[in-house]
Amino acid sequence: MTSLRREPSLLLALLVVTGLVLLFIVYPQVRVVATPGGSGYADFFSGGSWVRPLQNSLSVTALSTTTAVLLGFVYAYAMVYTDMRGKPFFRLVGILPLLSPPFVVAAAYILLFGPRGIITYHVFGQSPNILGLFGIWGVQTIAFFPFSYQLIADVLSRSDARLEQAARNLGAGPWQVFRSVTLPLTRPGLGAAILTTAIYVLEDFGNPALIGGLYTVLPTQAYGLISGFGDLSGAAAVSTILLGLALVIYVAKLRLDGGRQYVTVSGKASSIPRPPVPRWVSWAAFIACSLCALVILLVYGTLVVSALTLAFPTNLGFTTQHFEYVGAHSLSLRNTLVYGLVAATLSGIFAVLAAFLVERGRWRGRRVLDFLLIMPAAVPGLFFGLGYATAFNEQWLDWVDRGALITISMIFWNIPVGYQAAVAGLRQIDRSIDEAATSLGASGLRTFRDVLVPMLGGSVRVGFTTTFVRAVTTLSVVIFLFTTQSTTATITIFQLVGDFNWGGATAFTVADVGMAIIALVVIAVLGRGRVSLGAARG
Amino acid sequence: MTPQLDRRSFLKAMGIVTAAAACGGGGAGAPAPATATGAAPTAAAKPSGRISVYSALNESTNNQFVAAFKAATPGVEVDLLPLAAAGELQTRIKAEKASPKADVFIGGDSSFHDGLGKDGLLETYESPAASAVAKESKDPNKNWTGFYFGIFGIVMNTDRVNKEVGGAKPTSWDDLLDPKWKGKLILGSPITTGGGYIFIATQVFRFNKDEAKAMDYMKRFHANVAQYPGTSPQAIQLVSQGQFVAAPNWAHDILTEKVKNPGIDLAIPKGTGYEIGAVSVIKGTKNPVAAKAFVDWVLTKEAGELNVKLSNRVSVRTDVPPAPGAPTLTSVELVNYDRDWAAANKDRLLKLWQQTVGI
Repeated sequence: MTSLRREPSLLLALLVVTGLVLLFIVYPQVRVVATPGGSGYADFFSGGSWVRPLQNSLSVTALSTTTAVLLGFVYAYAMVYTDMRGKPFFRLVGILPLLSPPFVVAAAYILLFGPRGIITYHVFGQSPNILGLFGIWGVQTIAFFPFSYQLIADVLSRSDARLEQAARNLGAGPWQVFRSVTLPLTRPGLGAAILTTAIYVLEDFGNPALIGGLYTVLPTQAYGLISGFGDLSGAAAVSTILLGLALVIYVAKLRLDGGRQYVTVSGKASSIPRPPVPRWVSWAAFIACSLCALVILLVYGTLVVSALTLAFPTNLGFTTQHFEYVGAHSLSLRNTLVYGLVAATLSGIFAVLAAFLVERGRWRGRRVLDFLLIMPAAVPGLFFGLGYATAFNEQWLDWVDRGALITISMIFWNIPVGYQAAVAGLRQIDRSIDEAATSLGASGLRTFRDVLVPMLGGSVRVGFTTTFVRAVTTLSVVIFLFTTQSTTATITIFQLVGDFNWGGATAFTVADVGMAIIALVVIAVLGRGRVSLGAARG
Repeated sequence: MTPQLDRRSFLKAMGIVTAAAACGGGGAGAPAPATATGAAPTAAAKPSGRISVYSALNESTNNQFVAAFKAATPGVEVDLLPLAAAGELQTRIKAEKASPKADVFIGGDSSFHDGLGKDGLLETYESPAASAVAKESKDPNKNWTGFYFGIFGIVMNTDRVNKEVGGAKPTSWDDLLDPKWKGKLILGSPITTGGGYIFIATQVFRFNKDEAKAMDYMKRFHANVAQYPGTSPQAIQLVSQGQFVAAPNWAHDILTEKVKNPGIDLAIPKGTGYEIGAVSVIKGTKNPVAAKAFVDWVLTKEAGELNVKLSNRVSVRTDVPPAPGAPTLTSVELVNYDRDWAAANKDRLLKLWQQTVGI
């Protein structure tokens, strides 16, 4: 990237990105953080009620992140490196846990694995106490491994197969190639995956709320302060602790990266096949992925069965009556689809542009922008929405459409995954490619648009998919923002659960998840069409 | 909708009403409740336009409730924002104070309304219909009016109670301390659910505010508790599924679930606590006439009967009979529940409880 001074368009892009970040990420959070005031913070911190939730949050984040990243790595390695069967199936199943609207999926875990669970009690005769630390750990592992799987798979697929082939040709065994070529090449991606997963686990509210039992973590404590007591001040103080922790994780990540860069030249992994892995590795990967898929399918199968029975699990008579709620609340489904698609598209574009400005820029203060772009991951959705409700609910802003505001909140709340993916992707593209384009006369933005973006296709996809599924499944962000006309599917599900309408809630969840899968498949098909068109043109 | 438009339509409505009054008025035949006070000049205004109602009532109650109000009050459109979580609605109203979006807040324990009133976010209003409400069930500062009671009871999984704890319904809270309940009880988290806290407060009042005795009870109770789930409906769901055997919870919600799953039962121990469900008008409402008309209607006998039918809750009106099988304030033995004290000591008691049971 050439200097900002010589390229006004680049400077303009930077100003726009910074302006939007300040307005839609920083300002609402400042409003939340400022809520308690000096005495509010003093009261809260001297009270000490935050100590145990903080300890719990740290423990569960360490445990769940470790297992989720390990599982994500195994899954990604299996998908990218092995020639196991059923990859399209595993790809789809791997996305399912991302499509978990709050409450319903964790409730399905209890139905299956609870003290009187279908599997645990009725099959194995055991009454395990799954609520608490171990329950959260298990559910979060399943819920969050897809994040790290997506990020790691994106990085793995861009690691240069030629280097691995070369290593094999020089006599290295599969294990040695993995250890001394593959692993170092994926370091930036792994770092990003661990960081992102850790922050998402830290801010997770839905799973601890249902599976946590006695085990209170910071987000559930904050929710309790709001929901049980309307204590905005105390809840905002908890949110501030979470932001502080995110800063610590961020600094740790900077040290981990340590300035070392592992560069492969291009994203064209398909130019040469990867060296084959041993047969037993393929089989082991297949078995591991199958086990994962089994658990995931059991959970979603439970939802489908619940949606089609009169009163699961006490009355198993078949019915389709629960699906009447889907028709009655079609507005919320439609809104969810529109907000999700718009937010995902804009978020993907914005994330890649921001990653380009930060990763390729040489201007001062880019570390600050880098942190601000990762920060939303550490903000529990509840506070992100609350920040918007506080900051943008002014009389002179009453003309702003609530649906638009919800979409904007989804764009910026979900920036971190797409941004991290794009940064990891950019780090694997050698700067000499930028330099070649620049010396041929391309401007910085032109290089970005015509050279880098096409090579970052995978990262854009990660950002798009993640934003879309999170937009489809978030309850906490919209709970303070939705209006009658801009209600969403998760709000409807929350209503039905609160109304003891388990059948209606599961039917609606099935419809919501089904709609999201159809949308993703259609986009994948269309997307592939456009890529091949682009290639033909080039 | 812009504020100007609202004011304009309001003035237009006023004009129509004035004209109607000049022609003899009251032709619509509907009793205009506001005229009963006859004090303010706007009191004669016929409600019209649109109001936004933030409701913490159940989904099924909401829809029929609003439909019935619209039928009783032609010309008023209702924008319903349902969220069966009074705390979130309270927080939302606080967050929106710069430009209030709600006109009416309905449902949820009076403590949620009281908090808003103390922050100056509610419009004081004493409905003429509130004369039918006992003075203990409405705010002396006129910020809110109670319209239903929710009584605290115990949900039990009948099959497991019969097989594992001898089949007898608990008749007192002390029955739950028997070691035979060990690991079989759950309670909505006192930290995250209003009901969980009301349970603790009930114990304190049962021991005449002797907190040491109440905490001793909570400690022994804790020895039998397997979990404190995060929401009240979740606790009922878990017992209904048979994951656990019993849980102190809201009687009306237990009866609602019982319709879906007859395998559960309700017990009301003596000395139980209760909530007062309230309705209030938001300060800064752009349509006070219609908002107040909504409150007036909620307090009518007709609305009381509908709420009882839809939600199994108990009306504050003595002329509204309870739902079949539902407990009432007179059919159960209530503890002397000091609502103001419970609200004022909430944080302190919860911290004390956390220290006592070590969570």
